[in-house]
Amino acid sequence: MLALAFRAGDALLALAARDIVEVLPRVPLRTPSLAPAAVIGLLPFRGTLTPVVDLCLLVAGRPSARQLGTRIIVVRIGSGDKERLVGLQAEQVSELIDCERTARGLHLPEHAWLGEHVADQPGLPQLVDPSELLPDALIALFTDRADA
Amino acid sequence: MQRNSQLASRLSIFVGVFLILFAGFAMVAWRTLDQVRVKGALYDEIILGNDLIADILPPPQYIIESYLLTLQLVEEKDPAEITRLIERGNELRIEYENRQEHWKRVLAKDTMGDLMTVTSSRAAMEFYRLRDGDFVNAIRAGDRELARKVLEQMRQRYEAHRYAILEVVQLARQRNAKFETQADELIVGQTRTLALLALGIVLVVVVMAWFARRAAATLSDRVQLVSDIADRVAQGDLTTTVPTTDDRDETGRLLTAISGMNQSLRGLVTRVKQASVELMSTATEFAATSRQQESTVQGFGASTNEIAAAVKQIAATSQELLATMEGLNAVSGQTADLAEQGQSGLSNLDSTMDRLAQAANAMAARLAAIREEAAEITGVVTTISKVADQTNLLSINAAIEAEKAGEQGLGFLVLAREIRRLADQTAVATLDIEQMVKQMQTAVSAGVMEIDRFAEEVRSGVGTVDRVGGQFGQIISQVKTLSERFDTVNHGMRSQSQGARQIGEAMGQLLDGARQTSLSLREFNAATESLRDAVTVLKQEIAKFNLGS
Repeated sequence: MLALAFRAGDALLALAARDIVEVLPRVPLRTPSLAPAAVIGLLPFRGTLTPVVDLCLLVAGRPSARQLGTRIIVVRIGSGDKERLVGLQAEQVSELIDCERTARGLHLPEHAWLGEHVADQPGLPQLVDPSELLPDALIALFTDRADA
Repeated sequence: MQRNSQLASRLSIFVGVFLILFAGFAMVAWRTLDQVRVKGALYDEIILGNDLIADILPPPQYIIESYLLTLQLVEEKDPAEITRLIERGNELRIEYENRQEHWKRVLAKDTMGDLMTVTSSRAAMEFYRLRDGDFVNAIRAGDRELARKVLEQMRQRYEAHRYAILEVVQLARQRNAKFETQADELIVGQTRTLALLALGIVLVVVVMAWFARRAAATLSDRVQLVSDIADRVAQGDLTTTVPTTDDRDETGRLLTAISGMNQSLRGLVTRVKQASVELMSTATEFAATSRQQESTVQGFGASTNEIAAAVKQIAATSQELLATMEGLNAVSGQTADLAEQGQSGLSNLDSTMDRLAQAANAMAARLAAIREEAAEITGVVTTISKVADQTNLLSINAAIEAEKAGEQGLGFLVLAREIRRLADQTAVATLDIEQMVKQMQTAVSAGVMEIDRFAEEVRSGVGTVDRVGGQFGQIISQVKTLSERFDTVNHGMRSQSQGARQIGEAMGQLLDGARQTSLSLREFNAATESLRDAVTVLKQEIAKFNLGS
């Protein structure tokens, strides 16, 4: 299984390649007014406006560094009618890793999006479940937008 | 009200009442005397005389004598006697008429007046007319018969006259009796009034006497009381409370005044007592202060001695300083010579410094060129980095797509991985270049800074050399002026030494002054002691006054 490794704050994380739509360079975003702090802007992507969430802000409480390695990973969450595209901004998005073996780490019920660790890679990156990643309040915002 | 009126006014009221009563008494008495004085003893004597004359003399208003004369004439034969009797008759007539005039004036026009002046008078005048006319003519002619007939007529007139006169006498007697009765009644009434008035006067005098006695008693009591209080105050007992009274008269006011005097005396003595205590403490303070001042003056004398010694020392020191200054003057001359030598050496150093500054400027220009080239290298490296980044991104997306394609994408995935590896290598290389350029830039910057600092130092060195040259010049000129100033200082030192000597003398005088002050203070001490003694005596005097609690 191919996975994309990245960092959010101090945490070394990874996303399965099948969940990823496209990786985009960091671009200036239109900052939405009165939005929750983690939503840093709207990205025009394939004819729609895709909301972008800063994972650094969500996990570590600080915005991502303004570097070339900071990129936007567009992922697909939900299924059927509720399927949505969401941009996730993270740091050091530049490494593709093969993960043949995975191992279960700590089980944190309030952080269900943190999945198994990739066992055969240095730093043991933790796989992320994008559908569980975002808080329900944020998903509700995006879903309501889709209905409207 | 009666008690509030003053003694004098009360007495005045009594005297006024007495005077009014006495005046009334006098007036009543006078009026009585005026009305009934005819009843006095003197009047009785006069009346007695008049009665006697009236009894003896023929009454002029009663013509009986004239009638008797006519009877005598009828019988008379002697012609001389006849003439004398006729003459006498004429005289009587004149007398009658005169008296008649008098009575007409005096008597009132009442019944008695009419009888007297009209009825009796008319009859009398008829009688006289007949006598003067027919009767006298008949007598002179010697016709006795005719004379007797006329006499008969005349007798009738005389009778009429006599009746009227008797009537008048009757009426006059009645009138007199009436007046006497009135006079008696008046005297009785006025005597009673006078008795009442006399009783009133006696009563007033008694009341006056009683009041005067009472007033004198009150006055005496109060004066005695006031005298007692005054005695006690004189003995120094001020505790007495003076009984106050509501009376507004003289004694009441005297009591009030004594009370006020007692109170104010008590206040005065209290204040004097306090004042004497304060005076005592003040005197004590005086003594303490003057003693302190004396010791201060003695201390001052000692300090003055010390100052005098110090001044002497100053004079000696300034003499020493004078000698030192002269040595310094010689040294400054040598300094001026050395400074002149230094100035000539500096002008050679100046040109060398200029050359150094130029070299430093050239080095700085070359380093600036190196820095610019390094900046260009950085720009190229940045471009390479961006390309490598794009390549990395493309390879990631390609790998993801290949992964999604599954088996068909495997070959493509390998290719993508190769591209990504190349891109990574490029990125690493660019990182190395960037690192090197950064190091070079740092070195250049340090070099530029060093050169700048060196140039700055050279520049400041040139400035310093200039400044040092200028300072040498200043030193030379200052050393020259120094000699003049040394002279001035020497002069000043000399006058300072003299001044110190003068200060020493002044200190001696000051010491004398302090000694005199000390003497005066001792005298002042003595005066304070005597003041304290006087206050003690005053206190003893005041202690004689008993103020109560």
